[in-house]
Amino acid sequence: MLDYVISKYNFWIYIILMMIGLYAMIGKKNLVKKLIGMNVFQSAIILFYVSIGVKAGATVPILSGHGHGHEAIDVASYINPLPHVLMLTAIVVSIATTGIALATLILIYRKYNTLEEDEILKIRKETGA
Amino acid sequence: MKVIALIAVIMTGALLIYGVEDMPGWGDPNSPASSYVSPQYIQEATEKTATPNIVTAVLADYRSYDTMGETVVVFTAAIGCILMLRKKRNGEGG
Amino acid sequence: MADQFAALIIVVPLIASLFVPVFGWWKKKLCYPWVVAVLVIPLISSLSVLNTVMTTGKFSYRLGGWAPPWGIEYMLDHLSAFVLVIVSSISLIVAIYSKKSVEDNLPEKTVPFYTLFLLLVTGLMGIVITGDVFNLFVFLEISALSCYALIAIGEEGAPMATFNYIIIGTIGACFYLLGIGYLYIATGSLNMADLANILPDLYHSKVILVAFAFFTVGLAIKAGLFPLHTWLPDAYCTAPSAVSALIAPLMTKVAAYVMIRLMFTVFQPNFSVNMVPVMPILGWLSVMAIFWGGIKALAQTDLKRMLVYVVVAEVGYIVIGVSVANRMGLTGAILHIMNDAVMMACLFLVVGAILYKTGTREIHQLRHLNKKMPFTMAAFTITALSMCGIPPACGFFSKWYLILGTIEAGQWVWAAALLCSSLINAVLFFRVIECAYLKPMEPAYALNGGETKHEEIQRDEAPLTMLVPIVIMAAGVILLGIFSGKIISSVIQFAVPASF
Repeated sequence: MLDYVISKYNFWIYIILMMIGLYAMIGKKNLVKKLIGMNVFQSAIILFYVSIGVKAGATVPILSGHGHGHEAIDVASYINPLPHVLMLTAIVVSIATTGIALATLILIYRKYNTLEEDEILKIRKETGA
Repeated sequence: MKVIALIAVIMTGALLIYGVEDMPGWGDPNSPASSYVSPQYIQEATEKTATPNIVTAVLADYRSYDTMGETVVVFTAAIGCILMLRKKRNGEGG
Repeated sequence: MADQFAALIIVVPLIASLFVPVFGWWKKKLCYPWVVAVLVIPLISSLSVLNTVMTTGKFSYRLGGWAPPWGIEYMLDHLSAFVLVIVSSISLIVAIYSKKSVEDNLPEKTVPFYTLFLLLVTGLMGIVITGDVFNLFVFLEISALSCYALIAIGEEGAPMATFNYIIIGTIGACFYLLGIGYLYIATGSLNMADLANILPDLYHSKVILVAFAFFTVGLAIKAGLFPLHTWLPDAYCTAPSAVSALIAPLMTKVAAYVMIRLMFTVFQPNFSVNMVPVMPILGWLSVMAIFWGGIKALAQTDLKRMLVYVVVAEVGYIVIGVSVANRMGLTGAILHIMNDAVMMACLFLVVGAILYKTGTREIHQLRHLNKKMPFTMAAFTITALSMCGIPPACGFFSKWYLILGTIEAGQWVWAAALLCSSLINAVLFFRVIECAYLKPMEPAYALNGGETKHEEIQRDEAPLTMLVPIVIMAAGVILLGIFSGKIISSVIQFAVPASF
């Protein structure tokens, strides 16, 4: 049992992080906290992907020694490059989403002067919008 | 709202933990992810793209279409911020 | 040659979007003709692709020349070519329409507006055309980000609606990304056709089950299926007219397309239908969506908000067609993707035109609109009849197939829900039509002075750039209905998986 838990510890860590992020996104009242939750959620997914790429005992996939492919390349000694490529894209996407969300928050703050969800709802109810 | 959030989070977490059972162990070199598509990247990339860094080779050549999408995402975000935040030149700001 | 057309579909609007700021910096007036001219090319290309697919069968296009599981490919079959034609034609129509609406509402923001408009169209078409699950995620985010920004510049309350949309939409996209990760960890591949070959041996794996669950939930969020639709009404309602006319017909339909694609191409129908209990759940959720959307729509006094809840109900239609999982039902669902896109586009264009001309969207203030805007109201009436399912308008045919599908599956309650929904739609739309055509002038209003009353009844039709798209869409509602038999026999029957 303990071996099972230890052999897959990367998954437990990412699941815990993801649950924290998801809870903050749905349950928190402050809009910035929601946004931080979103970032935690996305980081959890990025950790998950990167941990897929790991091979025990392997090194970074840079072939400095094998100039032009004359020697045979041992696949097991280099980690899987594909998850890293995917996550470079996913990181950029998450930054762009954060940027758009922050711009929206600026618009909200200009209008209501607060970033607490319940206060905004109260203001909207009072003005009848 | 807090209760709904908690229920949603616990359900998601339970689903994820359920899925872990059939996952390959951490760092397993024989997992499908490491043994199906990626070995060919490691073996061929340097020869075919003349780039020693395989991540770069995959990013900018094999899957360059994704990378183009990635740059477009940044462009979209930039234009989106301009659209939302740029104030009118004269008169009160939006 | 057709290969190159496939590439043009994405490349042309993408490159063109980079040039919009250049033209805008030089002369702002050039943005509009540029966007309209550019969007003609994807339409021609996707028609040509559809033609190729119909004559020679499905084909793929390798980007950069790399063989599929290693590189990325476009996958063009009957389903994707069909949806591409829908997306490109509706976006062209809405682009033509957008002129006055943008000049009126967003004079300062023309340049970034049109840039994002093209990027949104690029994103939607990229989702449809790609044959790689991760690439689909990238385009999903391009369309989502441009959509967020376009909604945020709408009326009062739009930023708050946008923020909710961002949070919930990101949960949806991240669930989809998690699903990709689970598929990748179990198979090692990201290519749809390749996954379809590998997956049948792994159907017992819990990883695949979890991946399927995350795909379904993520796409249900993106499509706005019932309990996860909470972001949709506010976001679509507060967006500027030209934007809601683009996203209301297309965003949810494209998400529904991805759902069909994943359930029946990446996973085999055998798995999605028999090995996981997801179909009945989706079916009952869509029944609830139909009723919830209908009832909420009945409670609205604002025409646009009413239509937004109709969108929620319409998503239910498509998902019911998917969840009965037989040939009739899925034919109905795919046909309804097209019909609903056309009908929703027409209705939202009409609402935008009414708002532009009269400055109001309240239903009870639409009196005598039949005299003021006869063509617009005629288009509205045609589409309303189609929504109620009256032949020969197109809404009848997709509903007919959906109901046949539910009966074939033995789901009588679902069939009853579809019939009830027609009644609800009839009440909804006849309420509007009654207001516009039949209600007498309000006495207090008439007392205001004979002159204003006299002016009020004079014809005051929407400008030509608005009227032409509306009339085209209304004609489309009728023509697509008349030719729906031909569309089904030449395209849709090949888009439905052969095992049904």
